[in-house]
This record gives sequence, structure tokens and C-alpha cells, in this order.
Amino acid sequence: MKRLGRKKKYRDITIPTDSFSDIAFLLIIYFLVATSLVKIKSITADLPAGEKSASAKTDKTPTINLRGSEIFFNDKPLDLETLNARLAALELGTLDPDKRVILLESAAGTPYQNYFQALAAISANGGVVALVVDAKK
Amino acid sequence: MKRPPQSKKRRSVAIPTASMGDIAFLLIIFFLVCSEASKDRSDLEVTPPVSEHVRKNKVPVAARVAIDKTGTIYFDGDRVDNAKDVEWGVTAVLTRTVSDDQRHVQFTCDATLPKESFEPVLQAIATAGGIIEAVGNEAE
Repeated sequence: MKRLGRKKKYRDITIPTDSFSDIAFLLIIYFLVATSLVKIKSITADLPAGEKSASAKTDKTPTINLRGSEIFFNDKPLDLETLNARLAALELGTLDPDKRVILLESAAGTPYQNYFQALAAISANGGVVALVVDAKK
Repeated sequence: MKRPPQSKKRRSVAIPTASMGDIAFLLIIFFLVCSEASKDRSDLEVTPPVSEHVRKNKVPVAARVAIDKTGTIYFDGDRVDNAKDVEWGVTAVLTRTVSDDQRHVQFTCDATLPKESFEPVLQAIATAGGIIEAVGNEAE
């Protein structure tokens, strides 16, 4: 049996959009609160990855030694300010990349603070840091 | 001569708010496009070292390595066992890079940690070809 054809009723449906702007502003506030605008401060240090044998180390390569809280530059003790002055006097920025190398050697237990200051001094004066690492026994 | 008192006419001014929703959604889209989800772990206990040479980091970093107070190593926010894991991680990240500007690796380390804790990690980053961006605070 066939159903009698009914007339379709179209309801007047409207999507409620009144609260959209409220929702949007709530989302904006969320993003503003959750966003961190902290700018990180750092020093840039490009450490060469290659290995160099002890015999290849020339006497001319400037060396910084960190022994505890003491700093030695070419085996002469100095403070951080003097180290900066000595490195600036070398005018590393004007030299060829292979002549900018500064060896950084440190005794066991040297805190990162001292290491960081030496790294920063070398990098700020245009030097390339080469870490001197003890060979594994 | 005094003016005769006039009754004030108040106009009803309607603020157009119809486009407020559109503006708000445009702002949201702007924030979504411009923001970058941080891969940093903000809950790490790290006292950054201090130097007068630190500057605001202007280059984007390819990876983030951190060592907290206890000597635990983190690579892009995830804990890793040793420096070798950092080397593999950085190598994997840097294989997708094409220029030197994309080789920067952010390195955060506690200022009190001894050489034995951080030097292998520094070496690992260098071996993997990363340029180290050592995080620190500016000396006052």
C-alpha cells in the first residue's frame, strides 16, 4: 500500500551565533595567558667535531686551562678580565678559520659555570673552541 | 541675555558589534599561525651560568638538549640515558637540514655540574654537527 504523499514541513531553523564572539574572545584570552614570550639568551660555540692527535698539537695554538676556579692561558694564571683582553689582542676575527682555534682544557670536576665563561670569552672574541679531552683508558 | 532652557536630545548610539566575532576569530587564527609549541621542559631544575657575553638568541634551534641539577639528560624534552643518545638524536634532526643556520642546538646545563656530566654531551652535539647555543644569564 502506498503512503499518501505528505507535505513536508520546513521549520525555520537558525543556528545560534550570538555567543560566537564570546567563545572567540575566551580562546584569545587562553592563548594570551598560555603563550610564553621569554627570549632565551645564549652564546654560540661551534666546536669542531674532528679528532686531532696530541702530536699534531702545535705550540703556537693558544690554550686555556681550567683548574678548579683558576684560569691559565698558555700556562700563565690570569683572571677572566685579563683573559678577555688577551683574547681580544689576538684579533681572532681577522684570522683564517683554522688559525682561530683555541684549545680548551679542563681539570676533572671543573664546574660548568667556569667552563661557560671560558667558552663565552672565546666565542665573543671570534675564536673557535677545540675541546681537549682525555683519551679513554 | 539668558537662553531659554532647552530639553536635551539624547541620541541613541548603537555600537556595531556584528563583526566582533569575525575580528576575534581572525585574532585566534593569527595566534595559531604565529605561535610555536615549545619543546622545552620548563619544570627542569636548572641554574643557568652567568656571563657578560650572552646575547639574545636570534636563530631558530633545531634541537634542545638540557642537563638538570641531578645530571639527567633531556633531548627535546624527553629523558635520555646518555650522551650517545643525544648524538643520535641530533644527527637524526640535522639530516633534514640544508644550511648552517639550521644546525643550531640549544644547550642548557646547570652551572654547578662538573665537567664529567656535561662535556660528553657537548662532544656529542659537536660530533653530530651541531652548533652549540649555550644558554646562560647576562651578568649584571
